Amino acid sequence: MVIAELHKIQHDHGYIPEKELYELSARLQMPVYELFGVASFYPGFRMTPPPRVEVLVCGDFPCHLRGCDKLRKEFEAMASDKKDEVHVKHVSCLGQCDRAPAFVINEHVYAGKSKEDAIAMVKEAIEGKKHEPMHFHGLKGPFLCDPYPSKSDHYGAVKELGKSGDAAGVIKKLKDAGLRGMGGAGFPTGVKWEAVKGCAGDQKYVVCNADECEVGTFKDREIMKNVPHLLVEGMVLAGLVTGADKGYIYIRHEYHDQIHVMDEEIERARQLGIVGENAAGSGKKFELQTFTSPGGYIQGEESALLEAIEGKRGQPRIKPPFPVFVGLWGKPTVINNVETLAYTPAILMKGPEGWKALGKQTTTVMDYEKDVAGHPVIEKWTTKPGGPVGGVKWIGVSGHVEKPGVFEVPMGTTYEEAIFTLAGGVSGGRKLKAFAPSGPSGGFLPAAMVGLSMDFNIMSNVRFRGGFTSMLGSGAIVAIAEGTDMVDLALNATRFFRNESCGKCVPCRVGSQKMVDTIFAVMDGRGTKEDIAVVDQLSDTLLMTSICGLGQVVPAPILSVLHFFKNEVDARIDKTRIGG
Amino acid sequence: MATTASTASATSVKTVSLTIDGKQVTVPDGTSIWDAARDNGINIPVLCHKPGLNPIGVCRACVVEIEKARVFAASCVRACENGMVVHTTNARLESSRRMLVELLLADHPSPCEKHKETHSCELELLAEKLGVRTPFMHRAATTATVTKDEQLPHDVSTWLFSKGADHSNPSIFIDHSACIVCDRCIRACTEVKHNNVIGRMQKGYATSISFDTNKPMGSSSCVNCGECMVSCPTGAITSREAAHTTLEGGKPLTVQEMMQIPIFKGISSEFLKRNVGGVVLRRYKKGEIICHEGEFGSTAFYILSGKCDVFINAPIGHVKSDKKEGNTGGLFGIFRKFSHSLAGRKENPREGENQARYIRIDGPVDLPYDNPIATLQATDLFGEMTCLNFLPRSATVRAAEDCEMLEMLRNVLQMLQKNKDFKKQLDKNYRERALTQHLRSVPVLSMLDEKFIDQLRHRVELEHFDAGEAIVKQNDPADAFYLIRVGCVRVSQKHPGGEMVLTYLGRGEYFGEMGLLKGGKRTASCTALDHVEVVKIKKADFDFMLSWYEGLREKFIQEADRRERATKLMVEHAPSVPLDDFLGQGLMHAQSLLLLDLEKCTRCDECVRACAQAHDGVTRLVREGLRFDRYLVPTSCRSCMDPLCMIGCPVGSIRRKESLEIIIEDWCIGCGLCSQQCPYGNISMHAFEVKVDDPDHPGSKRAMVKEKAVTCDLCTELQEPSCVYACPHDAAHRVNAREFFMAKKTS
Repeated sequence: MVIAELHKIQHDHGYIPEKELYELSARLQMPVYELFGVASFYPGFRMTPPPRVEVLVCGDFPCHLRGCDKLRKEFEAMASDKKDEVHVKHVSCLGQCDRAPAFVINEHVYAGKSKEDAIAMVKEAIEGKKHEPMHFHGLKGPFLCDPYPSKSDHYGAVKELGKSGDAAGVIKKLKDAGLRGMGGAGFPTGVKWEAVKGCAGDQKYVVCNADECEVGTFKDREIMKNVPHLLVEGMVLAGLVTGADKGYIYIRHEYHDQIHVMDEEIERARQLGIVGENAAGSGKKFELQTFTSPGGYIQGEESALLEAIEGKRGQPRIKPPFPVFVGLWGKPTVINNVETLAYTPAILMKGPEGWKALGKQTTTVMDYEKDVAGHPVIEKWTTKPGGPVGGVKWIGVSGHVEKPGVFEVPMGTTYEEAIFTLAGGVSGGRKLKAFAPSGPSGGFLPAAMVGLSMDFNIMSNVRFRGGFTSMLGSGAIVAIAEGTDMVDLALNATRFFRNESCGKCVPCRVGSQKMVDTIFAVMDGRGTKEDIAVVDQLSDTLLMTSICGLGQVVPAPILSVLHFFKNEVDARIDKTRIGG
Repeated sequence: MATTASTASATSVKTVSLTIDGKQVTVPDGTSIWDAARDNGINIPVLCHKPGLNPIGVCRACVVEIEKARVFAASCVRACENGMVVHTTNARLESSRRMLVELLLADHPSPCEKHKETHSCELELLAEKLGVRTPFMHRAATTATVTKDEQLPHDVSTWLFSKGADHSNPSIFIDHSACIVCDRCIRACTEVKHNNVIGRMQKGYATSISFDTNKPMGSSSCVNCGECMVSCPTGAITSREAAHTTLEGGKPLTVQEMMQIPIFKGISSEFLKRNVGGVVLRRYKKGEIICHEGEFGSTAFYILSGKCDVFINAPIGHVKSDKKEGNTGGLFGIFRKFSHSLAGRKENPREGENQARYIRIDGPVDLPYDNPIATLQATDLFGEMTCLNFLPRSATVRAAEDCEMLEMLRNVLQMLQKNKDFKKQLDKNYRERALTQHLRSVPVLSMLDEKFIDQLRHRVELEHFDAGEAIVKQNDPADAFYLIRVGCVRVSQKHPGGEMVLTYLGRGEYFGEMGLLKGGKRTASCTALDHVEVVKIKKADFDFMLSWYEGLREKFIQEADRRERATKLMVEHAPSVPLDDFLGQGLMHAQSLLLLDLEKCTRCDECVRACAQAHDGVTRLVREGLRFDRYLVPTSCRSCMDPLCMIGCPVGSIRRKESLEIIIEDWCIGCGLCSQQCPYGNISMHAFEVKVDDPDHPGSKRAMVKEKAVTCDLCTELQEPSCVYACPHDAAHRVNAREFFMAKKTS
């Protein structure tokens, strides 16, 4: 296990010394270039000794909207005379958007601090104080997705399967309930499990994608913290149904608490006979463990995640073949998001109809009027009833809202309810200008669309420039108040993709940087009309030729801004310049 | 892995049918769209892929549209599927392709080193082809933007363009700014050469190639093989200087001239540039000698036009010793003495002598034993073994008419051998002209008729192996019969304690029949000792051959039995002490060891004199050597367990008989290689004055001194070796090393 070995070296030395890499190379019989390539790929590994104090400040847009840039400047000023021993740097989204701005002092994540407290903490750290890691409270139950009234009822669904062995019945129920991948892609879960079940071969795997790194996404953090038993049960169900005997829960390394909670729950399940040689009395083996990610948003791409478990550079694989057929170590593999797996016990316990009944009636898109240039006239936006949708959805609401947080809502709930009812409305009594339904990936939609319901189909029908569509995605809702610079937001979101690109393919590796450059030029007042043409052309290339979803959605933020907030771009275009 | 040059398999393969640009195409299952298109005359642009490397699909320039697919697919990695409808070009594809090139060009110094010198940067050529000019991207803004960027995930110091140039390697120059991270060098380094030095480091826009742990190339574990440079599509990896080795005389070829010659087609100009001076054009008048047998050399020749005669000038025969008694008045009266002469196998047949009708040489033909001469013509290559394995020339070549040829050094030949078209042509020449003789030169196959060989001609596979590569492994299933075309193969068997060398095989010899005939498993491992090329006859064809010719199976079985007996004999001789220990002591290899008991020996040198007198004044014994306990082991043939002398004989005239004794076959050309190879200096060169064809005056003869290799023959004609007989102090003994020392050890 290359990643585990590297984690250990880093733990022992504080970084990965070259000498240790050579020793590891000899021990694992792996060329040193390969180990170096792996170690230098992941942000979780450092190749040089750490400074005495390292302060990392999240710079992505939920934190950006809540003043992280100012905070970072304060930190930088405090460290300005000690640059050798105190480093202040940017870090990608830490999954604490509801407690923004979030920051890291010497590997421990802190969030929800007032500006004054944050400055005091960094000051203390510079003075030599070691801070205790921060722990956060869970949510108040009960939860719609937890079918068990008490702890003693846990694992009822998998015990039932252990007894009956009716794998086909489970698949049918998942299909009937219409469960889809909640990580964002929305692939029907029953179909996925059935495909893996149908694969020949004695070795299969179940992998849970708990590498929640997309900006604005932090709902899996709470699912794991509050209902870990549902995730473990979902894993065992997937294993028993598909014939896999080994499962990994791949968790981002900043989620220390969640890793701990899951390890404890796995141990509890082992004591209960749910995990182990005779999993849930089925007579079949199912082993389960957590896997700590060495870092990076791209690891949330399922095939890149598999590469990381295999100890390689976490670059997405070219598909086909798909992981259901050729997955972990080349074996058929179920990969599901935390939320997807956590819903399976409720579907089996309540039945497909009972599950569907948890959903709501929806409101959907009605054609909007366009001006002469083909751009939407936002005020003319209307919605219409869209029919019922089943199940529940865990969402995270952050940005400009009074009470950001994680909420469990019926599927079909509108963004309006989420922002205004659950999250207490736009902060500071301002008007809502826009919202991101799925972090940076679903684009920025105008406030006029806030009446739309959360539903896979409805959201994928919201189209904007370049043939791009919005998406339900992971339910990472970010509210944006009046007065926010949308071009600046698009630049921020594009930088996130640029920073998190794995660099494997040309369009994403180079294109994401050129996209940042171009938007930056527009921000700087150097942009021209030709730049907008370049953005369109580059966007189509990113969409059509990138290997994975990351490259394909790089253009979403800027294209949605060009579509819905074009006047803000136009206002910046330098009309005196022609060409580049 | 061995590469199969060409296969014509009889087994039907699964195929898939699809439409590419409106054309219905049927290809074997698993074919990539890129290959399928290419086979049908549609060339899809690509940067990161190169035939011969495993495709990885990262440059995305080769994207195609597959109908009903959401996004484009990289054709180099996407396999064809039944019913696929593929478009390799349309407005949207072309616009993406141009954008991809523009993206790369935006960070690329144009023209890069490579383009400046040879106009062959693949990125810049593709840009020209697609009409991509100065990228519109905010190029000037790039550096400024990035350094101003507050959100950099990495230190600016490690950002790509600050990595710049790497001058640390004396012969290879790295310009990271020209690198497009296509991974071709990585695959060349790891998959082609297995050097495992180059990899990708960091991620995203900061991704770059790196050596080991991001060391400067010059202090990394790089072995300077140059494969990365050859594979690099741009000026990121270029040579720092032009060729170092230059052939004297002849007309050196420039890069442009080389590119005009078909055999250099497809070779990177970068590599051609590096090899200027390593290949010269030579013209020979009719009758001129091109090379002499026995000369050491390091070049190969490729005939562009004209014909040459290739022949062996040395007399065909071996050193024959006749016992003659005469009073020469030595200290002990009558000395026994031999008279020496040359004799062919017809006049003086020896036990265990090879009855081959053809003599193998370092060229595309074999020479008949009875009249060792043949013709070489345009497109023939000769001197390959001399060039690759630094062996002496195996034959003399003379221009039969005015000829033009390329003389080349090893680096040029190796470069050519990587060229598929060139290799294909050589293989074709071989199949058409040499295979028949080559097969028939194997005594048991001498009766194969033309019709049968015609059938076999395109069914055999031509494979090559690099030094150290295993051709077959002991205990693996036997699936083919092998005939050696080029190079030397070591046959060895596992025994408790170590690997024992059974024999060395050279051109014209064969292996693999034992496993096919007996039990279906490989009885020994066969390993390439140098550059080896073999003809592989698959099991089905071999079995068919055995059933087609009556009695052939029996002949093979007889031969296999003979080999088995020899192996058994060797194993019996093998020590029971751990082989490693035994082998550690060079002298323990000896089957028949001359020992001088130093407690008795007075250093009178009578033994040496006796040996010299017995062998025309040429001693085969020197009273020097290893000491072991109180014994001196003077140099004399030890009939080693691992007969190194047999490696590399250019004409294969040194061989071990069943009795383990070394025999020098009649067609020894006197090059002296075996004599140099013997670690104990126990092979001597015996000179004769002979009359031979005068190469300068065809048709007439002239006298010249020719040498023949001789080994200690243990004075087999006599009861006791002369040296032992001559020792006045009973100090000289011939013993079996193992028995002798084991007895000493236990007593």
